[in-house]
Amino acid sequence: MSWRRLRTLLRREMLATYRDPFTMSILVAVPLCALLLFGFVLSTTVKHMALGVHDASDTPASRRLVADLSASGTFDPRRFATREALERALVSGKVSTALVIPPDFARQLGDPTPGSARPQVQVLYDGGEAPLAGNAEAFLRALVASTGAELVEGERPRASRGAGIDVVTRALFNPTLDGVPFMVSGTFGFVLSFLTTLITAVSIVNERQAGTFDQLQVTPATAVEILLGKILPLGAVFVVDVILMMLIGGVVLRVWPQGNILFFVSVSAFYVLVSLALGLIFSATSATPAEAVQKTVLFSIPLVQLSGFAFPIRNMPAIVRWLTELLPATHYIRLSRAIYLRGAGPLTLLPELGFLVLFGVILIGYALRTIEARG
Amino acid sequence: MTGRRGRFWSNAMAVAYKETRILRHDRAFIAVIVAQPIMMLVLQGAVLSNKPANVPWAVLDWSRSAVARRFITEVQATGYFLPPRPVASYEEGRQLLRRGDALAFVVIPEKLARDVERRAPRVQLLLDGSDPLSAARVGGYIAQVGAALDLGTDRLEEARPAVPRQGSGPIDVRQRFWFNPTLADRRFFLSALAGMLLTNLCLSVMSLAMVGERESGTYEQMLALPTSSLEIVIGKVAPYVAVSYALMVVSVAAAGVIFGVWPHGSWLTLAIATLPFVLSSLAIGVFVSALARTSAQAVFIAVFFILPSFILSGVIYPYQFMPPGVREVGGLFPLRWYQIALRRIIERGAGLADVAGPMLALTVLFAVLLIGIRWRMKPRLG
Repeated sequence: MSWRRLRTLLRREMLATYRDPFTMSILVAVPLCALLLFGFVLSTTVKHMALGVHDASDTPASRRLVADLSASGTFDPRRFATREALERALVSGKVSTALVIPPDFARQLGDPTPGSARPQVQVLYDGGEAPLAGNAEAFLRALVASTGAELVEGERPRASRGAGIDVVTRALFNPTLDGVPFMVSGTFGFVLSFLTTLITAVSIVNERQAGTFDQLQVTPATAVEILLGKILPLGAVFVVDVILMMLIGGVVLRVWPQGNILFFVSVSAFYVLVSLALGLIFSATSATPAEAVQKTVLFSIPLVQLSGFAFPIRNMPAIVRWLTELLPATHYIRLSRAIYLRGAGPLTLLPELGFLVLFGVILIGYALRTIEARG
Repeated sequence: MTGRRGRFWSNAMAVAYKETRILRHDRAFIAVIVAQPIMMLVLQGAVLSNKPANVPWAVLDWSRSAVARRFITEVQATGYFLPPRPVASYEEGRQLLRRGDALAFVVIPEKLARDVERRAPRVQLLLDGSDPLSAARVGGYIAQVGAALDLGTDRLEEARPAVPRQGSGPIDVRQRFWFNPTLADRRFFLSALAGMLLTNLCLSVMSLAMVGERESGTYEQMLALPTSSLEIVIGKVAPYVAVSYALMVVSVAAAGVIFGVWPHGSWLTLAIATLPFVLSSLAIGVFVSALARTSAQAVFIAVFFILPSFILSGVIYPYQFMPPGVREVGGLFPLRWYQIALRRIIERGAGLADVAGPMLALTVLFAVLLIGIRWRMKPRLG
């Protein structure tokens, strides 16, 4: 490997990459759009959900219950005069959750005799929107329980505390259970996996079509030099992207990394190389840029859905859980979340780092072989 | 007048015939048609779920009492958790949380048994808040188990109601999940599957169809024929409408055969609601085609339209969660309205009247796109 040859190759690639305005705008705009999109949209906090209420009791106690539900900002209650109207709204999808307070709610609440029935409320969910209903359930139960405890205390001062163990919960790393940091830290994995593969695949197939790749192969440049010449200029752009995303995430979305920034950037830089090598391999097996893009898109669907970016891996069936371990993105997303959200250092993350290096060696080695083989 | 109209349709049919002949030999197209639906069907039907499962958790039990063991067994019995990992120190538990090897960490104090006597037993639960949704649900499960735990001490016996209690808390929450009693995520994902597949198909294939012609110079040849640009567009679009319908039927039927998610509504309603969606998606493809200069650019633009439309429309993630402003932006994507219609028809058995709103929105989008295409696609050479 000669430095002079590598320098010449680097200059060639930089000129080719940085001069194309379309590619450059994609390289800068897509990461930032993805960050804002995921950060704002996919943050998994439940806010302002339409809650249909039919309050047949209409007493201070029931009104207090409804008021408490809206006070948290989680639900926006809308009152319906009859149960039928409420059920119609649920069927038509106008509300996704419905609360029915029966007429004897307040009476049962104030009933001091031990052994009397507890006051009841009925909650109907639109199960068609399963993620929505699941979240609404968790929040609604907690809110009703806490308001109920206060109401009972006010109404029946002498009543004994219920049975059971009081679980005092505290969420570490993110006490308010805000959804934005989770998505922001995952977006790095998404952008660096998807965009890197896409860009290299297209750039190399374009060269193959124009015939300049064959010209490159007959120069004295070795496969390692060609690979580095291809990967480093793009890699530099993506490292800039990582820093840019970190800044935008911090300034606009107020999510700064908890862990060491330098450690995060170097892990990301290494992952970019792995991902670029994967793009090289895709391009080696495609005849036209359109085909390379199709392949990348086909690959990006499992990437989004299996890597743990949007859906927790542990919820998946056992065989699929094993398969996800074969995606480099899975390991990078795990690493970036650990560093970004939990402030983990290199020692805690040693096994994951090992996996990533292993993937790097295999993929870069394979990419080198595809360059050496005459296309 | 009639003669002119007759020529219009025969011209459009001729372009459609040519397009179909080409499609049959396009390998990338066949891959999109075959590989993508299978992959998405498996993913959406069998793999993706928001429901917690296999949750790793750690327990630090200072009390070593029977009550503590019962509490742990009860948590385990909910079925959401892996066997708990006993730890010896507080620091060890926090380390597990930091590494992500545990999502929840329960600390049971030494005096638990005595606290039970005093009727104020409490345990501490530490959650990994970095995954907020899972944390909230897991916290809810453990808290419910704690609240419902029957402590079985004699003194509490008299205060407890004779009827065994269901659930927990001072207010009895009776809940029912309509349309999906077990709250399976599968129904949610599968009912919108057709929308995702059709978006992919219409956009990625249609955007290439026009640019490809322009790159190979055959677009100019077509302009030289006695066909108007409208006839060309209709001729190009017609075969894809047919393929889209086939894909829609296959994906809905496959979800039914393989996963048992059959539509509650009628197939006719489904077919009618699909038309404005397919037309507007194809129109977007044509529009992308008119914007791009090379086929690689066209695919890029299409991909970066497809991804946000998956996210913003609510097929993967309920749009009801989105902040106002973003929610409205999602309304610009045809997929938003189609997935609303699909869910209503497939899950709730809605009729045509119930999906009139989404269909109207789709038609408006289509009309706007047509105007945009008319304006961009003036026949130009070179």
